[in-house]
Amino acid sequence: MQKTSQSSPSRRPDNTAYKQQQLPACRVQLTASRVLLCFFATGLSCLAMGIVLLLSAKGIQEVEINYTETCADCAALRENADNFDKECSCSIPFNIPQAMQGDVYMFYKLYGFYQNLYQYVLSRSNIQLVGTDVKHTDGCDPFATLNGTPIAPCGAIANSMFNDTIILSYNFNSSEDIKVPMLNQGIAWWTDKYVKFQNPSFNDLPSAFEGTVKPPSWSQPAYELDADTPENNGFTNDAFIVWMRTAAFPTFKKLYRRLHRTQHFTEGLPAGSYSLHITYNFPVTKFHGEKSVVLSTLTWSGGSSLFLGLAYTVTGAVTWLAFFSMMAVYVTMEKRI
Amino acid sequence: MPLMIISATRVITSLQQEPWMNVCVGDIIKLENNQFVAADLLLLSSSEPHGLCYIETAELDGETNMKVRQAIPVTSELGHISKLAKFDGEVICEPPNNKLDKFSGTLYWKDSKFALSNQNMLLRGCVLRNTEWCFGLVIFAGPDTKLMQNSGRTKFKRTSIDRLMNTLVLWIFGFLVCMGVILAIGNAIWEHEVGTHFQVYLPWDEAVDSAFFSGFLSFWSYIIILNTVVPISLYVRWREGGPSARLRWGPQYPGVPQPDLPLPCSVEVIRLGHSYFINWDKKMFCVKRQTPAEARTTTLNEELGQVEYIFSDKTGTLTQNIMVFNKCSIHGHSYGDMFDLLGHKAELGERPEPIDFSFNPLADNKFVFWDPSLLEAVKTGDPHTHEFFRLLSLCHTVMSEEKDEGELYYKAQSPDEGALVTAARNFGFVFRSRTPKTITVQELGSAITYQLLAILDFNNIRKRMSVIVRNPEGKIRLYCKGADTILLDRLHPSTHELLSATTDHLNEYAGEGLRTLVLAYKDLDEEYYEEWAVRRLQASLAQDSREDRLASVYEEVENDMMLLGATAIEDKLQQGVPETIALLTLANIKIWVLTGDKQETAVNIGYSCKMLTDDMTEVFIVTGHTVLEVREELRKAREKMLDASRTVVNGFPCQEQLSTSKLTSVLEAVAGEYALVINGHSLAHALEADMELEFLETACACKAVICCRVTPLQKAQVVELVKKYKKAVTLAIGDGANDVSMIKTAHIGVGISGQEGIQAVLASDYAFSQFKFLQRLLLVHGRWSYLRMCKFLCYFFYKNFAFTMVHFWFGFFCGFSAQTVYDQYFITLYNIVYTSLPVLAMGVFDQDVPEQRSMEYPKLYEPGQLNLLFNKREFFICIAQGIYTSVLMFFIPYGVFAEATRDDGTQLADYQSFAVTVATSLVIVVSVQIGLDTGYWTAINHFFIWGSLAVYFAILFAMHSNGLFDMFPNQFCFVGNAQNTLAQPAVWLTIVLTTVVCILPVVAFRFLKLSLKPDLSDTVRYTQLVRKKQKAQHRCLRRVGRTGSRRSGYAFSHQEGFGELIMSGKNMRLSSLALSGFTTRSSSSWIESLRRKKSDSAGSPSGTSDKPLKG
Repeated sequence: MQKTSQSSPSRRPDNTAYKQQQLPACRVQLTASRVLLCFFATGLSCLAMGIVLLLSAKGIQEVEINYTETCADCAALRENADNFDKECSCSIPFNIPQAMQGDVYMFYKLYGFYQNLYQYVLSRSNIQLVGTDVKHTDGCDPFATLNGTPIAPCGAIANSMFNDTIILSYNFNSSEDIKVPMLNQGIAWWTDKYVKFQNPSFNDLPSAFEGTVKPPSWSQPAYELDADTPENNGFTNDAFIVWMRTAAFPTFKKLYRRLHRTQHFTEGLPAGSYSLHITYNFPVTKFHGEKSVVLSTLTWSGGSSLFLGLAYTVTGAVTWLAFFSMMAVYVTMEKRI
Repeated sequence: MPLMIISATRVITSLQQEPWMNVCVGDIIKLENNQFVAADLLLLSSSEPHGLCYIETAELDGETNMKVRQAIPVTSELGHISKLAKFDGEVICEPPNNKLDKFSGTLYWKDSKFALSNQNMLLRGCVLRNTEWCFGLVIFAGPDTKLMQNSGRTKFKRTSIDRLMNTLVLWIFGFLVCMGVILAIGNAIWEHEVGTHFQVYLPWDEAVDSAFFSGFLSFWSYIIILNTVVPISLYVRWREGGPSARLRWGPQYPGVPQPDLPLPCSVEVIRLGHSYFINWDKKMFCVKRQTPAEARTTTLNEELGQVEYIFSDKTGTLTQNIMVFNKCSIHGHSYGDMFDLLGHKAELGERPEPIDFSFNPLADNKFVFWDPSLLEAVKTGDPHTHEFFRLLSLCHTVMSEEKDEGELYYKAQSPDEGALVTAARNFGFVFRSRTPKTITVQELGSAITYQLLAILDFNNIRKRMSVIVRNPEGKIRLYCKGADTILLDRLHPSTHELLSATTDHLNEYAGEGLRTLVLAYKDLDEEYYEEWAVRRLQASLAQDSREDRLASVYEEVENDMMLLGATAIEDKLQQGVPETIALLTLANIKIWVLTGDKQETAVNIGYSCKMLTDDMTEVFIVTGHTVLEVREELRKAREKMLDASRTVVNGFPCQEQLSTSKLTSVLEAVAGEYALVINGHSLAHALEADMELEFLETACACKAVICCRVTPLQKAQVVELVKKYKKAVTLAIGDGANDVSMIKTAHIGVGISGQEGIQAVLASDYAFSQFKFLQRLLLVHGRWSYLRMCKFLCYFFYKNFAFTMVHFWFGFFCGFSAQTVYDQYFITLYNIVYTSLPVLAMGVFDQDVPEQRSMEYPKLYEPGQLNLLFNKREFFICIAQGIYTSVLMFFIPYGVFAEATRDDGTQLADYQSFAVTVATSLVIVVSVQIGLDTGYWTAINHFFIWGSLAVYFAILFAMHSNGLFDMFPNQFCFVGNAQNTLAQPAVWLTIVLTTVVCILPVVAFRFLKLSLKPDLSDTVRYTQLVRKKQKAQHRCLRRVGRTGSRRSGYAFSHQEGFGELIMSGKNMRLSSLALSGFTTRSSSSWIESLRRKKSDSAGSPSGTSDKPLKG
């Protein structure tokens, strides 16, 4: 004992704030005034935000045309896989009572399509899709190869790509059908289009895909996805990229086209009668799915976010309710003291 | 009985130093003064005459007086190495056992047998005193020594929270399996209804042939995903041997480590932090001994906040084992009170200067006395005062040694005597030397030699000792000192007036917890003495009942004595002991004192440290020798307590009516304060299986419990008893080897460090050098530790449930396919990086009230004892909060995302954006929650909380960056997600909404609890008003009243037999010539007396003897 005290005379613990647990600190207290103020302010801002959101959501115009029932014949045809090469199309006339101002977007909406299944989400090859190695199909099971030849693009996601063709026509002057001009590009994220998806670097696309086969469900190979725009082909095809960004829930809508605001459509879609011409390729009825086309305008907060507005309003209202009841409790307790 | 045979094995030629571990049975070892005995030794020889040697056994049994041991005569000559080398004896003895006071064996040497007894043994743990050196033959070493046999088994200690955690982990595991089953059934149904038809797009694996099998696989997948709710990760190693690619962590993410839940690790880190805080605490640093507190274990900290019973040793723990001559009453005048300049009694802390003893060259400069009037009385030649100190310098069995001229060393057999003789020495009556027949005293400068005629020795029944001396003038006088209860009855009637004054003083001293002795003298005339001496000789030579005869002879002469006064010796308590005990009692902690020392001394200490007070309704003393007696005494005690409480209830029948029916069964509710004192031999019966409950009930109904004369093993048994039936956390504190067993047995063992022995410290979980640090250890460190640990655990379960249960809800939307909501990296990093440090900082640094407050309001300690902060209920609340959060965390983004699109029309509800949104809101919500839980925001907390959020976003953006994707496209497929998603106002609105909805109910709940049902720590924090009230009550409780109940303050740690030893001259280093006269005459009876002493003192009850003296 003596030895240690001689050799190290400083056995006394350091007198530092840290070691003595005396660090300068602020003791947080839930004081009544703070809590009540916080509730009041939160309630107020939630209510305000909710009303703003609801108002802006009200400005959105949306038309949804479910064509699962309407095109029942085609659906029945598609249920049999043997008929994959038989064309089938159907037309759906509909009316837009009020002009849709501004940018109009066309979505396809799928019901009951599980893009979020664990196996499904994994079934893709990012190495292939980024163009490094077009024959890289690791992880693409069960759509990796077809008779030994690698599939490009491989995997269950790519194979199940939505391939209906939807053409919107405007019934101008109730006699003339004008095809509404639509853009099929600029509908994917920039990072997806230019970073995540890249074509293999070859002079021409078909030779880049040499040694691979198209996915079994596809009618044309990847390099012929867009006959009109040659650069919108292969892995960088916008529709393909949109499809490859898998949805979180079994009911989802994906952007299909956006309105090209020219001619009659500079202000958006005028009111009047329209028709949809659908080339029906994508079977959904077998797993009780449904398909529809959605036409919609947007606001600053995106598409129809009625839920968000309602949720904010309700939260604000409940917070204020809580504020008043807590106030009452507090006041009675104070009195009792 | 099996026997051990030990022969002196090692051939020794020279002495060599060896560490203790090398000591083997059969070795002969040399011990020097003040050394610890390393093993159980047979004493062979010593530096003292006749192979005597003195030991202190405080470590072993807590007794403070010195004991004497003697080598058997044949070996006592083996004082030299050369002789020892030839020693080739053989010992046959009992096998190792735990009886400290018994030994039987036989030494075979030189063709003859010698019986060995405990008198010849030096046990491990004793300290050699007043003996320069001695040699001993090792009989038992290491774990065979009696000390170690007494120390009980070492058990692995775990805290109650650990045990609770085990249960909770099992429950959570069951919960996990339930969730797995639900989801697996869901999967089977889904696969049957939907999945089979969906095979166009996603065919089943080859291995999967039915929906049922798919469900089975999904079960295991979910067990793996959801395992993050279970705070141990032992079983999560499935991915290594996953049966099929369908199982998660299949081939896709080979490099991603399974998130290991760091709960056990974090708990350890927090406990380690708390241990360091204990080590670093300068308020638990003893300046005198230069010893800081030490947490020797890092696993028990939070249990320090839950202690309900403290078992304390006495000697060395409560007391310093230093006796101080504190006060005295001489001829009706009391000396020793301190007065300040104005003549008021001085309080502690404002002490005047002590008396200057420089006039006396022989004074011991360690002795201090504060009352100058006593010195004045000596100097003015007051005859009573002179006679008083003369008595002190003559009537004792102290040996003196004068190494250099004027440098006196006293070898006292008990510290009490040492203190008395030293006091006399400093006041000018210096005991210088003695021979068997004389005592030389330097009286105020002049040496006077008294002829020592007889020593009427001390024993526990007589409770007094006398000497008969003839002064140089030839007058014979008897000097006597002893217990007030005995001595005051033997005084001359003429001293009646003086008697009442002295009795007042004695009561006053007793009230202060001082040990008192009454001093008296009697003049004897020559003829009477001669005649008496003859009778004494006859009695001492009697064959039968020698002792009784001697006692009656002594009785006869110790009569009609003249009262001189009384001494009051302070058995010096460790600093701050009464205050600490008072504070701990206020904190609802029950303190039991377990000591090996005598009942009188133990009770005395009980009074001086305010465990026992004169206010107490009754102090029950259990001293029965048989089962029946003990049972009867316990029963009587219980009845008395019940009677008293009944009368109280009857007196106030209005409110208490309801509880009366319960009172008969529940003794805890007794009215009035009681204390229980129980002796070791009674305790042995009380601890038997059929009586232990009775004993425990009685003891627990008492405010204070003192067990005296208990063996180390009994200490452990008492602790075990409380542990077993009371389900309370126990703490044992002690300093000596005799405390090791109870330190090991109790939930928490505390050792007093910085003293000579380290046995207790080595066995302990915490060690510090002052008993008073216990209050800080428990009320500050323990309380905080418990609070922090509970907060930590609550938060930990909350955050993991909030995190994990989201997967469960998502299961209903992804076909139960075991898809996770979050990105793999987030799952990996969530517990380790994003949320671990803030909660760790809270777990290490949090404080609810400042440390001073927890001392001021000991009641703040109660939540820990009642286990209020983390129990099954709290656990379910945390879980519920976690599940609530997870529901909102999933369904709010779901509601927003399901229909919405981004502001450029592209999809908002893609899987990756959803993952990022949920993960971000989760990190923000749990960060806000930890902010709410943190009560003490240090810079470190700020740094960790803000830092965690910053790190989350930094890692998020880094992981989603183009650069990483270019390098590893398959591993970082979330490229671009962070910047695309977090740029959306809708996403931020979702995150804010989720946070508000998750947090506000918690705030509201806490606010309501605070206003409607605040607990004490809330009140302490908020209300100054309540604080003042409390303080008043506090003071009220602390006041110790001193009523005039008559109580003897007598306690004397002394042993019979030394008188005879001195008269025999055996222990004196005189020329053999001078000695011869005595040695021949003396019998070895003194050693028998010493031997007897043990059984006597064990058998002697306290106040009244059960062996009445023969008149």
